[in-house]
Amino acid sequence: MFLAHVSSLQASIFSLLAIFSLLLAFVMLGSHWLRNYVYAFAAESWLIAILSAVVGYFGGYPELYVIAVLTALFRGLVLPYLLMRIVQRLNVRREIHAVLQPSASLVVGALLVMFAFVIANHMNFQASTAGQVVVLALTIMLSMKLLGFLMLSVRDEAISQILGLLVLENGIFLGSQILVPGMPMLIEIVILFDLLIVVACFGMLVRFLLVHAGTTSSRQLKRLVG
Amino acid sequence: MTDDIVLQIFQVLAVLLLAPLLQGFILKAEERVQRSRGPSLFQPYRDLWKLFHKQSIVPESASWIYFTAPIVAFTAMLIVPILIPVLTDRPLPLSDMADMLGGGMVLTLGSFAIMLAGLDSGNVYGGIGSSRTAMLGILAEPILILVLVGISLLAKAMLPFVVNHTLLSRPSAYWSPTHVFLVLAFFALLLVETDRLPIHSSTHIEIYMIDEARILEYSGPLLALLKWASMMKQFILYTIFCNVFLLPWAMAQIGTPLGEVGSVLSLLLKFLLVATAVVVVETVQSRLRFYRYQEPLAAGFLFAVLAIVSSQLI
Repeated sequence: MFLAHVSSLQASIFSLLAIFSLLLAFVMLGSHWLRNYVYAFAAESWLIAILSAVVGYFGGYPELYVIAVLTALFRGLVLPYLLMRIVQRLNVRREIHAVLQPSASLVVGALLVMFAFVIANHMNFQASTAGQVVVLALTIMLSMKLLGFLMLSVRDEAISQILGLLVLENGIFLGSQILVPGMPMLIEIVILFDLLIVVACFGMLVRFLLVHAGTTSSRQLKRLVG
Repeated sequence: MTDDIVLQIFQVLAVLLLAPLLQGFILKAEERVQRSRGPSLFQPYRDLWKLFHKQSIVPESASWIYFTAPIVAFTAMLIVPILIPVLTDRPLPLSDMADMLGGGMVLTLGSFAIMLAGLDSGNVYGGIGSSRTAMLGILAEPILILVLVGISLLAKAMLPFVVNHTLLSRPSAYWSPTHVFLVLAFFALLLVETDRLPIHSSTHIEIYMIDEARILEYSGPLLALLKWASMMKQFILYTIFCNVFLLPWAMAQIGTPLGEVGSVLSLLLKFLLVATAVVVVETVQSRLRFYRYQEPLAAGFLFAVLAIVSSQLI
């Protein structure tokens, strides 16, 4: 396992990249505008692509370069492009009736990060630099998952919900890049195509909702139609 | 030893005398960005001079708090420069009199006195100003405490001089994510505490006024003291931001007079950078509604929490 002999410089590069991608998840939580969510998601994907390239370089996994290119291409360009098309088709530009206001959800998110840190700290048994990187990766992975769940549960618009799902998935992907970098490439490709299918399905769903219900807000969809 | 005492006095004098210049620069730069000429750089000095030569009118309902509050606020701002590295990064005599929490308390004491004075005369606007300041204080204080905790976790010390030395001598500490987040959190705090735009600026429009409303009853020399104290508070917060957090370089280390002059110049240069960043924020940001004031502060809180979490990691 390459984390056993990671130097402090590498550790700080990993931590900066990982923490900035966590920060971008918070940008999504703290903003009203749907367009900003998509931009933040794209930037986050690029950071994760850079991270997997860096892990590939320092750890000596050439296949991670391919994964980095695929990540940047699919998560950084294709998915944001598709999402942007959906956003432009909607007549909604921002979240209006959020359950939690952006500031409150930022504070809740900060609490979730602390919770994730406590859990990650309990799961670690090494005391060296490797142990710190493991705790960091686990913290960021868990907190991005929790933030994704938070977005799924407090936002109404369909587009924010799918972005919550994608953030959740980005978190798992980021954690796996640092913790188990030797994962077979086939699995990564399968996950990428899964994501494409998810976004395509959501596109169809949004179009359907717009035609038949006239809205994409989950708040409006409580009424049963016979 | 006497050198150090003289230097200590000069630290206080630098804050006292250069604070209006910083205010003048920010006001001028804001106007220049909007392509108008703006007031002179030295206009705040002239304003203070004018106010000191005016008659003081006291409301009938004023008690002793009305008279003591400006003096308490002004004195508090004179004490803080003793505790922080303004001109030199050597520990000076009495500079370990209080740590960062103590300095924060003295800073807050000044604004507490003004808050009481706002309530004292029974004026409606004073009450509004005081209650709004109290709300902002409740929101901003946790960030200040968390930033101080974060920086003391990073430097393993609570004295600003030691923090400065740690950041100078350990580049790994300077470039660590903890430090980046602390700088961001303190910048949010700086904007709020010095009355800059995402929250509000010191306008005279009743709906928005916070700081102006508290001191609406004052006139003449007492008003001059209050204005000077708020300029000094801004200068002190800028000094802490530059010399302790963001740019710990370029400060006199041996204590020769030439070195002190050089560190005054470098301080002005650093302030130029930070003030330009503040002016950019003021130009691109619009004023928030009162009920959205917590948003920049929530972001600052988040940065501080992230800083503490990441200081536990690396």
